[in-house]
Amino acid sequence: MSVFVIAYYSLLLGASCLAAYFNKRSAFLLLFSLTLVSFVLGIIGGVSALRIVAILAGLLGLSAMVSYAFREFLIAIASKNLAKELRTAPLTAAFGMFVIFTVAVAGIFAPLIAPYGEAQVITSAFAPADENMLLGADQLGRDIFSRLVFGARNTVALALAGTVMAFILGALAGLMAATSGGWFDQFLARTSDVIMSIPSLIFALLMLSIFGGDLANDTTSFWLLSGFIGVTGLLLVSAIAERSMISWVIGLAILAGAAAVFGGFMLVIFNPSEIILILVVAVIYSPRVFRLTRAVAGNVVVMDYIEAAKLRGERRWYLIRREILPNSTAPLIAEFGLEFCFVFLLIAGLSFLGLGIQPPTADWGSMVRENATLISFGDITPLIPAAAIALLTVAVNFVVDWMLYRSSGLKV
Amino acid sequence: MIKSKDVLLKIRDLKIQGYSDETWIDIIKGVDLTLHRGEVMGLIGESGAGKSTIGAACMGYARDGTRISNGSIEFDGMELTTASEGERRMLRGSRIAYVAQSAAASFNPAHKIIDQHTEAPLQYRLKKRVEAQEDAMQLYEKLRLPNPTEIGFRYPHQVSGGQLQRAMTAMAMSCRPDLIIFDEPTTALDVTTQIEVLAAIRDIVDEYNTAAIYITHDLAVVAQMADTIKVLLKGREVEEAPTKEMLDNPQEEYTKSLWAVRSFQSPQRHRPKDGVPLISVRNVDASYTGGAKVLDDVSFDIYEGMTVAVVGESGSGKSTTARVITGLLPPSKGEVLFKGKPFPPSYKDRTKDQLRQCQMIYQMADTALNPKVKISEIIGRPAAFYSGLKGVALKNRVDELLDLIELEPSQYYNRYPPELSGGQKQRIGIARALAAEPTFIVCDEVTSALDQLVAEGILRLLDRLQNELGLAYMFITHDLATVRSIADEVVVMQHGKVVEQGPKDEMFTPPHHPYTDLLLSSVPEMDPNWLTTLLEERGIDNVGDAAAARIDPNDPKVSNANA
Repeated sequence: MSVFVIAYYSLLLGASCLAAYFNKRSAFLLLFSLTLVSFVLGIIGGVSALRIVAILAGLLGLSAMVSYAFREFLIAIASKNLAKELRTAPLTAAFGMFVIFTVAVAGIFAPLIAPYGEAQVITSAFAPADENMLLGADQLGRDIFSRLVFGARNTVALALAGTVMAFILGALAGLMAATSGGWFDQFLARTSDVIMSIPSLIFALLMLSIFGGDLANDTTSFWLLSGFIGVTGLLLVSAIAERSMISWVIGLAILAGAAAVFGGFMLVIFNPSEIILILVVAVIYSPRVFRLTRAVAGNVVVMDYIEAAKLRGERRWYLIRREILPNSTAPLIAEFGLEFCFVFLLIAGLSFLGLGIQPPTADWGSMVRENATLISFGDITPLIPAAAIALLTVAVNFVVDWMLYRSSGLKV
Repeated sequence: MIKSKDVLLKIRDLKIQGYSDETWIDIIKGVDLTLHRGEVMGLIGESGAGKSTIGAACMGYARDGTRISNGSIEFDGMELTTASEGERRMLRGSRIAYVAQSAAASFNPAHKIIDQHTEAPLQYRLKKRVEAQEDAMQLYEKLRLPNPTEIGFRYPHQVSGGQLQRAMTAMAMSCRPDLIIFDEPTTALDVTTQIEVLAAIRDIVDEYNTAAIYITHDLAVVAQMADTIKVLLKGREVEEAPTKEMLDNPQEEYTKSLWAVRSFQSPQRHRPKDGVPLISVRNVDASYTGGAKVLDDVSFDIYEGMTVAVVGESGSGKSTTARVITGLLPPSKGEVLFKGKPFPPSYKDRTKDQLRQCQMIYQMADTALNPKVKISEIIGRPAAFYSGLKGVALKNRVDELLDLIELEPSQYYNRYPPELSGGQKQRIGIARALAAEPTFIVCDEVTSALDQLVAEGILRLLDRLQNELGLAYMFITHDLATVRSIADEVVVMQHGKVVEQGPKDEMFTPPHHPYTDLLLSSVPEMDPNWLTTLLEERGIDNVGDAAAARIDPNDPKVSNANA
């Protein structure tokens, strides 16, 4: 019996006795059942099994402490109203925010944080971790840690851009459908049904094989991007201009200018194949956003205050902007978080299949694929980027859960 | 009938707290209540007085977000506050039953009525299914439901509101409980239907010597039902006394003010001798897409500065008429004239000025005000929209409007609708209509969701505004007391037709159209013997729907109205 084992059991037993003495029922049940399980584990797995339990518990405790401190930190620096909201956040949400914050910092300051370049070969293939390389090297001898940091930038930026565009298109179409009804609503709804009826991964594969390869050049992606913005903009212009001819002309002129500027801007940030990937994601995911927005807005549109505004002679754009949107932001924000996770996983999945982000650009999904062979040698290297994907997805979902809970108006 | 005097329910110093803004606040601040077997106690008070909370507490139940923090609830010798959840659950349904305000929302739409009825007796193993069904039919018969052997096998949506409310009372009776809690069982019903339900409830409670707690805000109703009345205000008891004593001789100021509520009466105005009506509805037919005719040849005039009350039970086409006038539902035949000129049938074709002339105040202030928009914008928007006011001028106008509706501008300017009480919200709705500077306002059941004292305040406000601003009102209501106090002219509607119209004084003096007569005589009065007398006069089977169906089409008054 080592000192560790004695300390382990005495700590557990002491804590459970204290919990029982102070009538903390749930804490007592948890601690004591852990003690009982530990007896069995100790017999079967020996000291090492107990050590793993202790490490896991320690990790859990540490992340709880980090989350708590991070939440208090946010409350301390936030404005009064925001602080009141943040106080309702459970620890899981705080943990999620902390992870998102870390990933965001890693992505934005990637060149400063990463010790090596993302395509820089520094050692032999599959070199183990040493003092130079925190997590070892990949199949070409590139530093895994540096690639993880750069991957945060590429994958997340792409997913974020795709989700934002899907949201703008879907939400706008949903709001228009809910406010106008009739054939326009039917047309949009059936179109979205058609897109949704095709399995998303297969649809993405199809689109990427059409527009990948030779077509993935600056001109094609610029026109595709302009087309997408054109459709979105048309919805916006028709919402604002309605029946006035002059507004249409002015709106279309502004739209054309905005589309060109935005297209050029996107080309500077992303390369052509990435833009096509973003567009594919936006087209696949906008129908889901459309359906949710239409349903949420549909419930608002039948309210008496909308009728009052219509009777006042308000334009549709005022209805959407001032009456409907404030009442549907909560579910839309929650949906944004969820969709972001799905888009993120889709891009990681496409990269894993070799259709997403092209090498040598670092990306979490393709990192898993490139190092996949290593798993048969019992090395955990390919699991590290996979764990990064899982961690960010879980983190976003924690935050979304909290928002969903708040927007559903459930009491504690 | 002799009522045994054992105490059934004893509540002492009950305190209930509700959770809001991260703290627990007292909702019920120490209420005592003693109920004997077979006794019916009426709980009255405004909304927020804690009536329903006490009603739920009688079952040892605290709603979500509330907790019983102090006091004892003793039901037939059993202490409910310390009893386990299982023990309390054994009482509910079998010994204490509950009848909710909206039967339509409380029945499960997916199951037949009788299956829901027999659920409790089967659950408690009191009866076998067939026995329980037979018993249900007997109860339906006692409650005078049509086709008692068959009605239970329908789904809730196939039965009318008043019948559903009686079926719910029958369901509460299914285990022959010692205590039934009625939470506003007739508030959502029309006066004509209300009578049927009241009579049925009273008889059945008498017959089985069940104790009951009857929660309502309608004094006249409680006067018919209760042996004793307890008045509540903001979670405290004001006074308690036997019904007769309470009605004749209230002790407390607050109770007296409740009794005095129906005193407000606006002097009646008369039509100008010659002049063009402000709004004139001419031979209007209307129907919703693909449906049957909802309005059939409706015509009436509204003159400037006058109030026309449109009366009728639900489904009689009152609100549809309003929708036709405002242009939300273009009529299929006929037209609406504004100052002698035709109004475009759809609001989409009306000019800004035409839209401005005709404003609307809604029944449910909760859904009529956007909860996410500040009061200043709700009221300011029409002023900015129609008159183009901006900046300081707009703020002054909003302040002026808030003053007009008797709310302190600085306090309300930056608040949101959910922070206000029902009456305050309704005032904001009025201010929004006034902000457009209209000449004509449609008031759609503006007071029916409010307590009497608050409703009275709103009526006074509307009357004052009418005198100051020369507004014309179309006042849609099913409450004849409201008509008495504010209307100048009355239009009675039934099944989408105008059955009678004329100045108020004529309308309230006989001879009436039989339907008007039915409506008038169905309004509960303060006299505790009113229901008994009425049932004796009319006969037990000649109230409500049955009576409406019996109106003789050949009656001279009827044929006059149709001619």
